[in-house]
Amino acid sequence: MIFRTPLSGIDHPQMEADVVIVGGGPAGMACALRLAQLIDEHNKKNPDWPLPKENIYVLEKAREVGQHCLSGALLDPRSMRELLPGFEKEAPIDAEVSKEAVYFLTEKSKFKSPITPPPMRDHGNYVISINKFVKWLGEKVEQAGITVFTGFAGSELLVENERVIGVRTDDKGLDKQNQQKSNFEPGYDLKAKITILSEGTRGSLTKQLIGRFGLDQERNPQTYGVGVKELWEVPSGRIAPGEVIYTAGWPLTNHEYGGAWIYGSKDNIVSMGFVMGLDYKDPRLDPHHVMQTFKTHPFVRQLLDGGKMIRYGAKTMPYGGWFAILPLAGDGWMLTGDSAGFVNSQRLKGIHLAIKSGMLAAESAYEALINGDFSANQLSSYQSRVEKSWIREELWKVRNFHQAFEHGMFEGMIHAAIQQVTLGRGLHEKYRSHAGHTRMDQIGHLPTGGYGREHMLGPAKGDGKLTFDKLTDVYHSGTKHDDDQPIHLVIHDTDICNTRCTVEYGNPCQHFCPAKVYEMVEASDVPNGKEIHVNFANCVHCKTCDIMDPYQVITWVPPEGGGGPNYDGM
Amino acid sequence: MADRVLVVVEQREGKLNRVSLETLTAAQAIAAETSSSLEAAVVGGSIHPVAQEIAKVRLAKVYAIDSPQLERYTADAYVAALKQFIASKQPKLVLMPHTYQVRDFAPKLAAALGRTLISDAIGYRKDGATLVFTRQMFQGKFAADVSFSCDPPHFATFQAGSYRGDKVEMGANAAPVEKVAAQLDGAAIRVKPLEVFKEAKQAVDLTQAEIIVSVGRGIKEQKNIELAKALADALGGEIAASRPICDSGWLPMDRQIGSSGQTVAPKLYLALGISGAIQHIVGMKGARSIIAINKDAEAPIFEIADFGVVGNLFDIVPALTEEVRKAKT
Repeated sequence: MIFRTPLSGIDHPQMEADVVIVGGGPAGMACALRLAQLIDEHNKKNPDWPLPKENIYVLEKAREVGQHCLSGALLDPRSMRELLPGFEKEAPIDAEVSKEAVYFLTEKSKFKSPITPPPMRDHGNYVISINKFVKWLGEKVEQAGITVFTGFAGSELLVENERVIGVRTDDKGLDKQNQQKSNFEPGYDLKAKITILSEGTRGSLTKQLIGRFGLDQERNPQTYGVGVKELWEVPSGRIAPGEVIYTAGWPLTNHEYGGAWIYGSKDNIVSMGFVMGLDYKDPRLDPHHVMQTFKTHPFVRQLLDGGKMIRYGAKTMPYGGWFAILPLAGDGWMLTGDSAGFVNSQRLKGIHLAIKSGMLAAESAYEALINGDFSANQLSSYQSRVEKSWIREELWKVRNFHQAFEHGMFEGMIHAAIQQVTLGRGLHEKYRSHAGHTRMDQIGHLPTGGYGREHMLGPAKGDGKLTFDKLTDVYHSGTKHDDDQPIHLVIHDTDICNTRCTVEYGNPCQHFCPAKVYEMVEASDVPNGKEIHVNFANCVHCKTCDIMDPYQVITWVPPEGGGGPNYDGM
Repeated sequence: MADRVLVVVEQREGKLNRVSLETLTAAQAIAAETSSSLEAAVVGGSIHPVAQEIAKVRLAKVYAIDSPQLERYTADAYVAALKQFIASKQPKLVLMPHTYQVRDFAPKLAAALGRTLISDAIGYRKDGATLVFTRQMFQGKFAADVSFSCDPPHFATFQAGSYRGDKVEMGANAAPVEKVAAQLDGAAIRVKPLEVFKEAKQAVDLTQAEIIVSVGRGIKEQKNIELAKALADALGGEIAASRPICDSGWLPMDRQIGSSGQTVAPKLYLALGISGAIQHIVGMKGARSIIAINKDAEAPIFEIADFGVVGNLFDIVPALTEEVRKAKT
């Protein structure tokens, strides 16, 4: 297997830029739009000293804006109202939240929470398709005169004298052996005064930045969940537009953190999914299977029965909270949205925070452009903006929320209740946490059988109507990659997979990957009779492998730009 | 006079592209339903034999649009010749097979006449007086109905495998062939083709194969592909594979069938050790007969197979090869 590695001895075309925003999701697009607004205002006031917008670029690895965006999604409109007052009139909003309920499920029945806990109250929020929403936001950005390069990924961070000086885009036209094909085009070196990383969850350049500057020191390690989502079209009358349902409990046990969402959208479309904490212990657990099992609960079955699954996807989300957020700025760079860790772990919402962080980063970028200073000192104004904003206010209250669940659901609930009455403090000022992958048990330590969780272990078979095997679901993600390119899931040492991991953890990558990228294939010349095989073309860019691999030998890097899922309507 | 449906058939170096017959099958049905007369056009140099071959199909007339400048394909010359011809004959509908060559010139041709092209359709139906074409979206997950709102001539192309070429009706007598001399302005042909060459590693066009023997991961090891090759040779078919095989480099990528490879519709498709994930099935479900051999009785391939054998392909395939050889001698 040949993995994607940077080529040496290649000339990369250079391009000068003022600001490069990597990633055209909610954070990146809000940042670009806010920056355009500020420059427009400036130019109106200072006609003889205008700032150009031509050299501000957004890089987006998807073929079209929004295609790699996946979320529930409920939008808390707070930041959008600041960015574009009255945005509701024109934005693609599917429904306003009209009804909400929280259920605790057991295998056969359900118990409704008599009151909806405050963090789950969603009145005033909107049910949206994040794909459609970002597509619309992207149009606004382009109308504002900012160039969005779709089909281009940021593949390498350019660093000089400890300063980030831009990014290199992906090399196009490499074959399986990392050799140039006839259509080879080297990546561009976009030399930027300011590089803003808005890559979303577990960003690949963000990972380079963290490694290079040790950004993860002195804070909690980031913890993640993976959301597996299906979009359904159901017979009319099953769920009202704007109806919001959360569940906890079955099929999970007290050993795992997670739950489901079901949102009624318009036109009988239902968004449903299961978020699974990536800090579970049993390496055989399969989040995609959990979701399939969840759908067989009578409550869910009767909702979906006779309907049709129309799209599938998966994505991780960082919910380590305030104490896991990375430093936000340095020499020539800033971090926004999920890349920095802006998610409210209690409400499991981050879109509004991503938008707000993008806006605040834009304000600091604008000041830096005016002052002609792109140093850490200048850009640190972004850090103070965030700390003075409602982002901090909102996240501080839930600063210890997710950490409290490290020892199971019941203990977590008790801590969460104490935190609720102590304004987020709980029993300690700062709850510590551990990276999720460190909590995985070795298979030798597990009881044989499934420990009452057989239904979550191993691959789902699917009945083809209500439940699906992984490959059928992957087909519905619309994911596509040119097969003739190097593998973009870079495994630094496949010997670990074929020897140690097989024995110690039973190759959990086969199970946690929601797109069947990893397979252990029978082979005669390896000690355990099976060797790892990477079906990279199935990848839906969720980053679970990069996060959850127990040896941390997998690095997700962008494949050739344009490849990836097609999350239309998700 | 009745409306005309014109099929532009494809030939290369005097050899008919078989996919053209599929388009003619569709065109015969459309002509019958719309009470139109069906005509065909062949474009190229020295194309008389191809025109004669097409004339055997039940249709009203075959035009041989001939010019030395059309000897080697260029989009410029083809568009110039067809534009003149279509403008003078005014067919209501122009149908073409969705081949690489057609993909190259058809958009330009439609645009040159200020018309719309419905490309890569997989079927049609008549809705009142309107012809509605079906196109696939989202890798075949959705089908979209589209129709023309512009004035004729209307241009449409059909995906390979949408119709059965062997179902084309032959005429009682050969249709007349009319030679059309294309008037071409040499200066307008901006492309000068050089020698035609084949890529060194013989590229295969599986869409042309009548019999395909396809292998999946059940074949286990690269050396076992020889078993399947022997069967393909005995049957006079081509070898193909599902993605894991081409992924491992055991067969070249141009032999991959499925959503990320080729879409085929052979007469016979033998699936050896292929489980039948949806990604593979979309590439071969148009096959007339599907025979699946798999050791897993629950493999989804059996849901679409016409004949299924649950068993060990390493026992079955050599025996089958032997029987085929015997039957052929």
